Amino acid sequence: MRKIAITGIGHTVFGNLSDFDLVDIMAYASLDAMEDAGILDKRDIIEQVIVSNMGAGILNHQTGIASSLVSRLGLEPAMAELVENGPASGGSAIKIGFMAIASGFVDVVMVTGGEVMRGVTGWEATDFVATLLHPEAEYNYGLTLPAFGGMYTRMYMEKYGLTEKDLALIAVKDHENGSKNPYAHVKVPCTLEGIFESPDADVVNNPIAEPLRLYGMCPVSDGAASIIMCAADSPKMKYFTQKAPVYIVGVGSATDTHCIHQRENPLELKAVRKSAEMAFKMAGLNPGDISFAELHDAFVILEVAISEEIGFFNRGKAKEAIRRGETRINGRLPLNTSGGLKAKGHPLGATGVSQVHELVKQLRGEAEEGRQVKNPKHGLAVNFGGFGNNVVTIICSKG
Amino acid sequence: MIDFSVYYPREKDVFARKCPGCGTLYYPAPMVCKKCHSRRDPSGAFFSEWEKVSLGGLKGKLLTWTKLYNLPKGFNQRYLLFGIVELENGLRATGRLSVEHPKTGMDVVARVGLVREKIDEDVYGFIFEKL
Repeated sequence: MRKIAITGIGHTVFGNLSDFDLVDIMAYASLDAMEDAGILDKRDIIEQVIVSNMGAGILNHQTGIASSLVSRLGLEPAMAELVENGPASGGSAIKIGFMAIASGFVDVVMVTGGEVMRGVTGWEATDFVATLLHPEAEYNYGLTLPAFGGMYTRMYMEKYGLTEKDLALIAVKDHENGSKNPYAHVKVPCTLEGIFESPDADVVNNPIAEPLRLYGMCPVSDGAASIIMCAADSPKMKYFTQKAPVYIVGVGSATDTHCIHQRENPLELKAVRKSAEMAFKMAGLNPGDISFAELHDAFVILEVAISEEIGFFNRGKAKEAIRRGETRINGRLPLNTSGGLKAKGHPLGATGVSQVHELVKQLRGEAEEGRQVKNPKHGLAVNFGGFGNNVVTIICSKG
Repeated sequence: MIDFSVYYPREKDVFARKCPGCGTLYYPAPMVCKKCHSRRDPSGAFFSEWEKVSLGGLKGKLLTWTKLYNLPKGFNQRYLLFGIVELENGLRATGRLSVEHPKTGMDVVARVGLVREKIDEDVYGFIFEKL
């Protein structure tokens, strides 16, 4: 298979950007990626644009946004497609770009993910995300993704002895990283005392989907992220001299049952495991080789569950690593160095691309002071769609 | 023309479907059996629709639950309780929970009631109650 390099990255701040047009926001991230790659004036070398987004048709009343983005960037006649794969849209779009280059169909692809969710009310956004669920057996009841996050968390806590304090420790760690990330939606650090120990904690950190509280779940965010990829054997690599390339060395994706209750063991996240196994196999790496990871913590429990499912820790043992601080930025295996979905935010279609943006930033050694992992070699991202019914894993390595 | 109205759960019961080929019960039903590959056809135009098996009134055990405070559009309650239940016939189901202080593992009964009111459409589903 062809070796594929990431040659440019771009990112907008995550937060409330609902005063701006979705395609303009995606254009910002795309142009940042071109500037980073040093090809703004030679951007016609981009042959294909893949956009990842989940809700433009419903939330923004806009369709055909990939074609719209190409036009706004003056990239015609580049090919353009939209990938909608729930919250895993970003990872999927990168995977499809990877396949397009690997097959020899094209040499240079730009993947841009974006979402604007805050133009609608919170309860409309919640309802929109819940349309991911099974219409008859789940959605009809008023169930939401946080409801499944809560039910999963309870099952996990009762089986493995994870505590509310452990969940709070993950939030504190994520906010600590997010507070140093200029792109993060929530840049405010939080303390264990503030969200768990003090008498005010029940008010500050109110329950949302018991046992999950406010600091156990990601905010509703707007934003965009973009990456440019090129085949390492392509003559077009000569245009990308500005930054040292980072390589995509492993990609995997897998699915699981739509209905959560139809899984043999509802605690098992089979699509997570399968997608990671594929990515590790392609990369020729093991979980022990990974220097840091971005794990899709839409709910903090997912950082725990995904880290065990992909083999970073034995089942039920991640909590010990959390308590020892091993997943903090200076720990043995830093997790969600960007602040994760928890603090950086979760603009659905942008998230998977933003995760890979973070892998590249860390591997280049460009992360901000206080959140740069020391000399990382391999970074891994898990982008989780639905409640684990569609998952993409991507591994990147330094050149 | 295929009548898709069969998908709307307007009846005051919730049904599993039984594969005619191998007898496997599904809730909700797929369009093809994972075990024997028999096809299901809700329109009845090309293949038979599978036999309905009533789930209302079955007993079960509560596997997990949550109290949800941020409800989606269309719900005006302050909060709602939800749970996943393992029914006595081995199937599992997700639904509303009408128990103020639930405990994992408790025995429940799968009553069927109104779970969502839409204009011109009342939706019935599971409301699990303490046995």
